[in-house]
Amino acid sequence: MNKLSYVIKNTFINMRRNPLLVIATVLAVLVSSFLVFTTLSGRAVVQNNTSRWQNGVHVVIFLDDRVTTTAHKQLQESLESYPEVRMVDYFSKDEATEEFKILFKDQPELVQEVDFEILPSSLRVNLNNPSDYTLIIERMEGNPAVKEIRASGEAIERLLSLTNTLVLAATVFAILIAFAAFILIINTLRLTAFAKRKEIKVMKLIGASSTYIRLPFIFEAIFESLLGTSIAVGLGWGVIQYSKDSVVAESIFDITISDGYLINLTLGLILSSVLFGFFASYVGIRKALNE
Amino acid sequence: MIKLENVSLVFQGGSVALSNITTEIKEGDFVYLIGHSGSGKSSFLKLLYRDTYPTKGIIDVVDMEVSSLPKWKIPILRRKLGIVTQEPQLLEDRTTFENISFSLEVLGYDAKEIDAKTSTLIDLVELQDNAYKFPYQLSGGEQTRVAIARALASNPLVLLCDEPTGNLDPDLSIQIVSLLEKINRAGTTILMATHDSSIVNRRKKRVLELSDGKLIRDETEGTYV
Repeated sequence: MNKLSYVIKNTFINMRRNPLLVIATVLAVLVSSFLVFTTLSGRAVVQNNTSRWQNGVHVVIFLDDRVTTTAHKQLQESLESYPEVRMVDYFSKDEATEEFKILFKDQPELVQEVDFEILPSSLRVNLNNPSDYTLIIERMEGNPAVKEIRASGEAIERLLSLTNTLVLAATVFAILIAFAAFILIINTLRLTAFAKRKEIKVMKLIGASSTYIRLPFIFEAIFESLLGTSIAVGLGWGVIQYSKDSVVAESIFDITISDGYLINLTLGLILSSVLFGFFASYVGIRKALNE
Repeated sequence: MIKLENVSLVFQGGSVALSNITTEIKEGDFVYLIGHSGSGKSSFLKLLYRDTYPTKGIIDVVDMEVSSLPKWKIPILRRKLGIVTQEPQLLEDRTTFENISFSLEVLGYDAKEIDAKTSTLIDLVELQDNAYKFPYQLSGGEQTRVAIARALASNPLVLLCDEPTGNLDPDLSIQIVSLLEKINRAGTTILMATHDSSIVNRRKKRVLELSDGKLIRDETEGTYV
């Protein structure tokens, strides 16, 4: 018990020696952890949304209205026979008109001026595997009943590719800042160890174990790392709550992310910060102990 | 208590610090380790508290085979030893009381024990009037006394003193030796490295003399020749 109080007391004495370095370290850990938290949360949100979109219509085949409805029917039947296809819905010109009116109900001038005759009928295809949209496009190309083909998969792939690039960039940035935090922790501990070199020497002569000498340094590094990460995670939760009520959430994105995912992410980051602090302290104090 | 068999210490680069030393120090002995600067006295002591390890030979200290001692057992060995270096290595920002109690704190004593034992040690080294002074307010002799009190905190079986009177005038040196003799009478084995002939000649004790890393003399009531 007395040893524990010695360790805790010395942890805070050490931190008081270099307050600016301690603040810099906490801030670096904070920024790094915040980037990791928001990046991973953001990726989860994008994946949730794309997955939702992918469960809807994957390929829309606009039909040439100059060919007969029989040809349209044959095309639907042929599509339905493909093993990749789960479901095909025929969407008539009238249904397209109704949909247009609903989509643009806030722009009555547009609705009045549009010639609904130009709206084609279409086949809306739902695939078992959304990535098979290219197969459908290949098979439909050149078919006289087909006017145009649009696949949501392309847009989703582009979005995922953009998201992955952003995630990669943020991850690299987070790693760089984490590395800076790592060096800052090592530097802080080395400065403290240098200031306490006589104390460490005396402790070794008295018969204090390496672990015991090391503990205040380990506690300091873990404390700084945990503090930075905890603030970052708190800010991250705040940003997610704020985003849920934002305009973006109401218009394009559904900012839904499960509490389970966030709790796991939080626990993962907290655990990582403890390991991070432990490893940094190990590297930081090793030289001082071997002298 | 301390046993060396054919112990040699050769530094990297080939310079020989100690060569083929064989000797034994029994429980309760008071032994002077003498020799000129560079004769190997500090290396001899460092081997005993495993600050360095021998190139060859066997060293046994307080029933621990030091020459092959794993790193994690070094603190266990050192808790059985008291070590006083030529520089007292006192913590400048702490008083006499705090410097001594620091050892006890590190060794895991509780607050009550620390207070009682620190007071006893201060009485033993006769620093009652200096208990709340900082090192810079103490004389060289007083600082050495603090270092001795701190080394005694763990109730060591052996006290290893590396030139504790090296920086002191003759009168203060005699006072320190008197203190060490008092500690020795209480049962602690003492090995004191020194090149102070006046002390060795005045207090005739067992003498081990080193010269160029070789043990050239071992006398029961020796003098500094």
